Amino acid sequence: MEENLKIEILFPEFCNLYGDISNMKYLKKCLPKANYIETAFDEEPTFVKEKVNFIYLGPMTENMQEKVIKKLMPYKERIEELINDNVIFLITGNAIEIFGKYIENEDGSKIDALGIFDIYAKRDMLHRDNSMFIGTWEGVEVVGFKSLFTFAYGNNDENYFAKVEKGFGLNKESKLEGICKNNFIATYLIGPILILNPDLTKKLIEKMGINDPKIAFEQDLINAYNQRIKEFRSL
Amino acid sequence: MKRNIRFYFAFYLAKLSIVALKTIRRDASQFPGKMAITLCPNFLDQIGKPEKIIAVTGTNGKTTCCNMIEDCLRANGYDFMDNQLGSNTNSGIASTFIKGAKLSGNSKKNLAVFEIDERSSIRIFPYVKPTYLVCTNLFRDSLMRNAHTEFISNMLTNNIPKETKLILNGDDLIVSNLAPSNDRVYFGIDRLPTDTDTCENIARDIIVCPKCDSKLVYDFVRYNHIGRAHCSKCDFKSPEIDYELTKLDLDNKVMIIKHNGEEEQYDLINNNIINVYNMLATITVLKEFGLSKEQINPILKKQKIVDTRYSKETVNGIEVVTQLSKGMNPIACSRAFDYLRKESGNKAAFILLDDLHDAANGSENIAWHYDTDYEFLRDESIKQILIAGARYLDTKIRLEMADIPMEKVVSQRDELSLIDSLKLDGIDKVFILHDLYAMDLKNKLKEKVIEKIEEEGRNK
Repeated sequence: MEENLKIEILFPEFCNLYGDISNMKYLKKCLPKANYIETAFDEEPTFVKEKVNFIYLGPMTENMQEKVIKKLMPYKERIEELINDNVIFLITGNAIEIFGKYIENEDGSKIDALGIFDIYAKRDMLHRDNSMFIGTWEGVEVVGFKSLFTFAYGNNDENYFAKVEKGFGLNKESKLEGICKNNFIATYLIGPILILNPDLTKKLIEKMGINDPKIAFEQDLINAYNQRIKEFRSL
Repeated sequence: MKRNIRFYFAFYLAKLSIVALKTIRRDASQFPGKMAITLCPNFLDQIGKPEKIIAVTGTNGKTTCCNMIEDCLRANGYDFMDNQLGSNTNSGIASTFIKGAKLSGNSKKNLAVFEIDERSSIRIFPYVKPTYLVCTNLFRDSLMRNAHTEFISNMLTNNIPKETKLILNGDDLIVSNLAPSNDRVYFGIDRLPTDTDTCENIARDIIVCPKCDSKLVYDFVRYNHIGRAHCSKCDFKSPEIDYELTKLDLDNKVMIIKHNGEEEQYDLINNNIINVYNMLATITVLKEFGLSKEQINPILKKQKIVDTRYSKETVNGIEVVTQLSKGMNPIACSRAFDYLRKESGNKAAFILLDDLHDAANGSENIAWHYDTDYEFLRDESIKQILIAGARYLDTKIRLEMADIPMEKVVSQRDELSLIDSLKLDGIDKVFILHDLYAMDLKNKLKEKVIEKIEEEGRNK
């Protein structure tokens, strides 16, 4: 039942770049009766002591990445437990790097990350890479944008989020985007990805136990989605 | 700096290219500098520069400030070089130096005024050392280019020359902490009746203390992170303001600026708070440069915001307002939306913010729309919202997300035929909010609006 759902938004006061927080605003439009917990950075995450159904973490500044890693490190085992327990995670933009092994600066120095997944990121702050993306996740065509200072490396063959049709995956040579394990989804895609992808949104809501969900402004989202897919394929 | 053969080769070739480009009536504001830097990577270091350089950077307001500074200097008899007609990147600055150089490579002028792209500062400041650097504000800008404010502020702090005197917006806590070891003065606006205690904007980029990470307590919020604040735990706070606007009288279009205990009255050219900040920044740098109020105010009061940024005319009693709202720049668009909602009377608004280059050659990343305060358009005084362009489907969804009643929204692909849906009944003002690169479209639409008002509009 929608009323029983607990959706935790981690550190929205900081992890809100590139309009990504709109993903949670949109979820509120689709599931208005669910419980939304906005956990501030100086609070203990709700997921530590309670079962939640959905955890969201959006993109942040590079300085903030280091702080978020420190903040979440004591809860690493709990996060792994929740992943194994099929809790839905949606991790967007450079927040994916929090869950990898480390982030490497241009000077070779490394910032240890949570180490839950076998990937690492390399920063190149003087070069920003912008690209379009189409990929497939569980039969759903996912469309979106990337805007990056970093590429990730490592092995995601067994736990990638989407197989790439247009654009690239973890790095320019990769055709496998992001990380997906059980219901943990982490992707470098940024922006309002739930608004851009009505089928993805529906599927995530279904995974929360809502059958045949109705999403907000559905036909308008479908129209925009079809137009974008068509445009991306034509470029 | 000793000049080498490579420099002279690049310099003379660039000089020749200016002549060639002018002969064939092509733009010579970027190419000569770009070519010179390609041929001689440290060209900017070797080229002769004026003794004094006034530079302006920041997310919004650079061009307006530079225009005002230049008009004041010109009217007071100063001879200077500037990049007003050219690019604000390293290529544009190099082109300006090349044009303003004698055949020896030395500068013909003793003074320069430069608009500097904040993202390009890393390629400019190692070689060009402004005497004064104004920073108007730092906000979220194009996420594809500028990423976020921390990236830009770090870039500026790491590259601003030590000898440069900073003229900083003291109401912007990101700006006021730039290059902390540099000499500086702050400008700012004292609390206004319209200021609030809480922020109603989506984007707010400094909420914790840069010294100790504790929460900042805002004494007042003007918009986004503009306002005054102090740390809840340590001694960090907004700086003491050196040039403070203490009284803003929009009815009589005047402002009082207090500096060193003395008050001076200046005339306002516009009632938009953004332009008040631009004027304040301009007055501050010109006073620091050595001009008096008597040398500044008579020139500033005659200024008009250029038509490409703002225009207003009344047709049959209905105002037609065009307002630049830079696409991909969430705060610029949010300020335009705020201005629109706060203007008196009933309004209809055309919103044309798509990037026309992306519309023709790509597919625009629309993430920035969700950092932009479309919620301001819910205001009851806005009776009709007309959107068009390549991203009209996305913009419609953004309006739905902002809970704007869809019965007052018209959305379609074609921009100019939107005019057919404009309803003038009960409308006092028609706004056209447009992107920087949509001037032609804006002008055509404005003509159509005027024609429609002339045919249908009422006289008050």
